[in-house]
Parts: sequence; C-alpha cells; structure tokens
Amino acid sequence: MSQKQEHSAAPKGPAISLDTWAVAVALGLALLVRVGVIHRIPW
Amino acid sequence: MAQGTLALPQVQTFGPVNKILRTIPGILLLAAIGYLGKFAEQSINAYAKAHHLHVPNIEYVLWAIVIGLVVSNTIGVPEVFRPGVLTYDFWLKAGIVLLGARFLLGDVLKLGGISLSLVILELAVAFTLMTILGRWFGLKPKLTSLLAVGSAVCGVSAIIATKGAIDADDEDSSYAIAAILALGALALFTFPLIGHGLHLSDHAYGLWAGLAVDNTAEATAAGALYSDAAGKIAVLAKTTRNAMIGFVVLGYAIYWASKGQAKAVTGKAAFLWQKFPKFVLGFLLVSLLATWGVFSKDQLGSLANLSRWAFLLTFAGVGLRTNFRELKAQGLRPFLVGAIGEVAIAIVTLGLVMGAAKVFQL
Repeated sequence: MSQKQEHSAAPKGPAISLDTWAVAVALGLALLVRVGVIHRIPW
Repeated sequence: MAQGTLALPQVQTFGPVNKILRTIPGILLLAAIGYLGKFAEQSINAYAKAHHLHVPNIEYVLWAIVIGLVVSNTIGVPEVFRPGVLTYDFWLKAGIVLLGARFLLGDVLKLGGISLSLVILELAVAFTLMTILGRWFGLKPKLTSLLAVGSAVCGVSAIIATKGAIDADDEDSSYAIAAILALGALALFTFPLIGHGLHLSDHAYGLWAGLAVDNTAEATAAGALYSDAAGKIAVLAKTTRNAMIGFVVLGYAIYWASKGQAKAVTGKAAFLWQKFPKFVLGFLLVSLLATWGVFSKDQLGSLANLSRWAFLLTFAGVGLRTNFRELKAQGLRPFLVGAIGEVAIAIVTLGLVMGAAKVFQL
C-alpha cells in the first residue's frame, strides 16, 4: 500500500457518533432531573 | 464484524425513524431480561429472609448476564431483536456519564491519577507481552497488533478503531474481537472469585477489574458483581484506560504507515479527537456539576438510579451478544495468545493494584 494514501481526520461515519448521542441523552436526562420534569427515579 | 457478536443490522436502507423503531423490540428484550435478573435477586433474598435461610446473595448483574447467555446459547436471538440488543453499548456509555453524579471531582482526580499511573504500566506490559506471544505463536503481525490493542486498552472499541487506522483485514479483527469477548466472559466469572479469595477491598478490586478486564461492559459488570462500590471504581479505572485509545491507535497507525502497510495520518490532533471516547468528557462534566452542587441530594440519587437502569440493559446485552459456539468457530490460536496474555496481565495488574492499595490505603 502506498504511503501517499492518507487517513483523513474527517469522520467517515455518521455525523454524530453513537458515543456522542449517548452523552447527549445522558446530559438531557440529567437536565430533566435538574429542572424537576423527572421527579424521582426509583431502583 | 466479529462472528462472536451479533451481526450489525443492515441499516443503510432505513431512514433514521425506521432505524430507531427497529431497535424497540430488542430494547424491550434487554429491559425484560434485566428486570428479570433484578426480580430474581429480590425474590430469592426475600424468600431466604422469610424462611430464615442462608443463601449467597447473587446480584442482579449475574442473573441478567446468565439469563442473556442462556437465551443466546439455546434458542438464540431472533433477527427482530438484534438491532435493539446492539444498543447495549449506547446504554453503557449513557450509564457511565450518569455515574459521574456519584463521584466528586476530587475523588475522580485522585483515583483517576492513581489509575492513570497504573494504566501506563499496564499498557507497557500488555503491548510487550502480546507482541512477544503473537510472534511465538506465529500470528499475523496486524492480528497481533489488534490483540495487543484489545487487551491493553478497551476491547472491542479499540480493535474496531485500530482496524480502520492500520488497514487490518476483517478476518483479523473478527479473530481479535472473538478472543477478547470470550476472555471477557471468562473474566466475569473468575475475577470476583479471585477478589473474594484474596479479600481485596472494594477499591482495590474495582481498580483491578478496571485495569485487567478488557471490554468496558465486562469490566463494569465484573466490578458490579463484587459490590456496588467496586463497580464504581472499576468504571473509573476503565474510563481512564479508554481515554488512552486515541494515542494508542495513533501510535499503531503511524507505525504501520512507516512500514508502508497503512495510510499515513494527517491532522494528528483531529485524529486524536475523532478517536477520543466522548463519554469520558460527559462523565467528567456530570461529576463536575455534582461537585458544584448543581443537583440536590434527591436528584443525585435519581441520576445514580438512572445509571443503574442503563447498566441493567447493558448487562442483559452482554449475555445476549455472547454466543460460545460462534466464538469457538473463530479458531484456537488467537484465543490462546489472548488467554496467556490476559492471565499474565491480570497477574501483573493484581500485583500493581495490591502495591498501590498499600501505598494509597485503598
């Protein structure tokens, strides 16, 4: 393989990774708990 | 894709709404199995208490994994559930971010600092051992690199990230992923027994599980199987290890490019950011907010419970995606190299952790 080929830093997959979605969802849930939309989560 | 895991759904032909809808049956299956595990733990404990019986407390974590394993290895996971079962990784990462609510930032920095020192030593040991073993067993060099990354950093995610960066074959990454998953499944059952046998404290055991168990889901489960506190520490140590993924992948990409067997890397900072696990930042942010007093005590309790529910889905997914017949079909040599290396890494990290436990009073 030629070394002239290069790995681009630009993401090739979806614009937002699953990893980032997981963070967004978790932070969204934390916000809902903070503002009182979600009152209490039992275990 | 590894044959030891469920095949990735063919999502290209579906729109975003359809993709989400297709995950619902599998998510419901994860929830059902996870809740069954929790129900089993509570029911057995209640029965034992009512009848004055002394039975060992089997945590919901183990029940969820075992029920998932039984389903996966007997009737199998029907196609309709597969896209949703694969979301276990999403729940794991969301659960780790929410777990930040249970850590004060000072504890994160202190334990993270200890973890980071041990992680660097663990990385050196793992890379050296795996490279030597790969050569001894005559494995292909890129397969050896993938096994080294998988055992040193963070299992499947690291292997997938490295595969693209070093232009490794699909077959090699399948072997490496299968070996790491099989060994992770073994670790789930052996680590807690060894920890109890050595009377390790929750902190020391959690640190060991986070350092030595490869896949994040298995490391989280192995920690939680010991105790709730050990589970927290295992996640923290594993997260520290995960944070190294970008540097390791970049190192291998540069190495293989220098040999003319992979594409050269341009824009190293952007490359590092692309590979960096973003959930580590989410975890730190939630920990920071908790430390600043942004959440009340009740709210912190709710966030901690949300994290537990997310992990419950993850543990069910760990069981459901492990199929021993498919793992066995991947061949013995990569598994042997992985197994010998993992045992050695487990022993070395156990020594490191026991030393650190004495020094830092863990």
